Amino acid sequence: MIRRDILKYIMMTTGVGFSGSLARQVLAGAVPNATSSRPIFDAATSEKVAILAEMIIPKTDTPGAIEASVPKFIEMMVADWYNDQERVIFFNGLAALDMFCEQGFKKPFLKCKPEQQVTALKDAEAQAKSKNVFSMAMGNDIQSKNIDSKTPFFTKIKELTVLGYYTSDVGAQHELSYDPMPMGYEGDYDFNKVGKQWSW
Amino acid sequence: MNSSYDFDAIVVGSGITGGWAAKELTEKGLKVLILERGKPLTHGKDYVTEHLEPWKMPFGGRVPRELYKNDYFVQSKCYAFDETTRHFWINDRENPYTTAPDKPFNWHRADVVGGKSLLWGRQVYRWSDLDFEANKKDGHGIDWPIRYKDIKEWYSYVEKFIGVSGQAENLPQLPDSEFLPPMAMNVVEKAVKQKIEAAFPGRIMTIGRCANLTEPLGERGACHYCGPCQRGCSVGAYFSSHSSTLPAAQKTGNITLRANSLVERLEYDPKTQRIAAVNVIDTQTKEKLRFTAKLVFLCGSTFGTLQVLMNSKSDSFPNGLANRSGTLGQYIMDHTDYISALGITTQFSDKYYKGRRPNGIYVPRFRNLSGRDADADFVRGYGFQGMAIPAEWKSTAMQLPGFGADYKRALRKPAAWAMAFVGFGECLPYKDNQVTLDDKLVDRFGLPQLRFEVEYKDNEKRMQKDATKQAVAMLKAAGMPQIIPIGAGEAPGSAIHEMGGARMGKDPKESVLNAHNQAHDISNLFVTDGSCMASSSCVNPSLTFMALTARAASYAVKQLQAGKI
Repeated sequence: MIRRDILKYIMMTTGVGFSGSLARQVLAGAVPNATSSRPIFDAATSEKVAILAEMIIPKTDTPGAIEASVPKFIEMMVADWYNDQERVIFFNGLAALDMFCEQGFKKPFLKCKPEQQVTALKDAEAQAKSKNVFSMAMGNDIQSKNIDSKTPFFTKIKELTVLGYYTSDVGAQHELSYDPMPMGYEGDYDFNKVGKQWSW
Repeated sequence: MNSSYDFDAIVVGSGITGGWAAKELTEKGLKVLILERGKPLTHGKDYVTEHLEPWKMPFGGRVPRELYKNDYFVQSKCYAFDETTRHFWINDRENPYTTAPDKPFNWHRADVVGGKSLLWGRQVYRWSDLDFEANKKDGHGIDWPIRYKDIKEWYSYVEKFIGVSGQAENLPQLPDSEFLPPMAMNVVEKAVKQKIEAAFPGRIMTIGRCANLTEPLGERGACHYCGPCQRGCSVGAYFSSHSSTLPAAQKTGNITLRANSLVERLEYDPKTQRIAAVNVIDTQTKEKLRFTAKLVFLCGSTFGTLQVLMNSKSDSFPNGLANRSGTLGQYIMDHTDYISALGITTQFSDKYYKGRRPNGIYVPRFRNLSGRDADADFVRGYGFQGMAIPAEWKSTAMQLPGFGADYKRALRKPAAWAMAFVGFGECLPYKDNQVTLDDKLVDRFGLPQLRFEVEYKDNEKRMQKDATKQAVAMLKAAGMPQIIPIGAGEAPGSAIHEMGGARMGKDPKESVLNAHNQAHDISNLFVTDGSCMASSSCVNPSLTFMALTARAASYAVKQLQAGKI
């Protein structure tokens, strides 16, 4: 469904005429940001991605990644937004986690204890850093128009988790602060009065 | 006059200047047709992404990359282009232009009624005689046929209608506007202002002057600080043709607006020495249409207008309409618009803000104010726009290492404040910075494509180097612990302050338009968009375009009534 909607959306703005009602329909609801056009994860992959997302953004005093439907968002992005190169890096990265766990703990990632899973993900982060493509650039926005396809697996799963979580209604309104209609500007505002940064 | 005309006046374009021409001419009783090549758009109803919640954005706000690469490879370079605004912009693949080898040019275009007035940055600054006298004093370009005194009352007239918030500073190089209350600086900007004004006598940092309402004006509501103006504003809190000039024109009952109407050429009648008709292609049906009027105002944006004039060749004007001077298409300018430097500080980590201010700060020109400064290796000058903003999650999430509860907690707080100075530099008018028509390349309507041959030259480059040096010095004086000099940016066109090509001047032999934006040789043709500019100043140009348009409309109607047109 989503793919068809997105195709409609693309046609709407490149074809003849600008249809306000269609754009409104598509942008204001017909494109839920958490459903993929086709299942691309098998059951084990879904479980693995859900565990990883929750490890990156766990439930604390606010909901975690799973409650914010981030695993579904990740599947949608991998299925419908990623290119082939990115998809290969993503799936290879999941397989590499299993290899790391088999070597270190003699069982696949899903059978490992939580602290062993943390060790595996930390290793993935260390590898991402050692490849020196871990983004450190100021202003390299997570919604940038120029995303680097070649970043390693850890960067990819962390980016998708963070993006999915903080742009979800749960993340934007509960973990961060959301104020669509501020009605004024105060430029000398104690951070503690809000306690969380703005989600926009 | 002959009553067989379809309209009293035809205005080409419905953007910032077209809207003003339509408002002024209809309010003076003329029946006006506006021709707009873009799609129809209804104020309010068609702002389909206004206040759209982040969780309703497709792909979490990530953009469709293939589509941008194939269809929006120029437009998508603008900060104001993303999935929330794409429907306002033109499709680059369907509307091609060409450039000289090694001279890239970014031509940004809207594709809706209202044009770029929907998408503009809303910064408005008056010119002063420092600007109007510059060509005469240093010999670059030709002397302007007007001075500040000729346009001053028109600035006031325009400002009272559009609504300009700002702070009076009483500076000779940057005259004050008719101001609504200023927006506030934030805590970091206030600290920077105080320190640079103490360290650099004569240098001022003021709040940006912008066409956003800080209190209601007429039927328009005050800004509610939601943030992204470019999505459209139903309450009309920023000036656009839709919020302001088009409703005023509609109130008169004298306006007809035709969208999807690409002007192909103007017909010149050598017997009457006037424009006889405007030829139009309907962009949807490809039907060819012809409209007549006593008066024609070209307000199609700098390059849109030049394309029409150059394509309106005839036996009387073999080198392009109104081009007896041979200067049509030459002396193209666009400001250099580079981030000069950033300062980063964690000093204010307990401070934040509330509301999204659609405005920044401004450091008015301080270089070469009375003759050339002893240490300046360039003529004219630049101003800094800028702002202090906290680094928030979108830019810091991937810089912050780790994962888990500690990571999540750390990301709740912004990382640091960044103070940016963006140098906007005056671009000199050069004869060989030009646009022409490429007869070998035609577009889908069979019209020759516009060919750009525009580059920044030594004076612009030296000026931007100086801007970086001065920005770094100011950030140092402001006590910023980390300073990042940048001083580089996109190709010409990217400031979207394009000007020139049909310049005003006293002498018909070296200019296209006279002191009233009227073509020297064609009494019923007026050009009032950015193409009329004989120099570029360093300040944002839209306010001056608007004032010149209102002034020209007043003159044109008087001439018409006196039987001189």
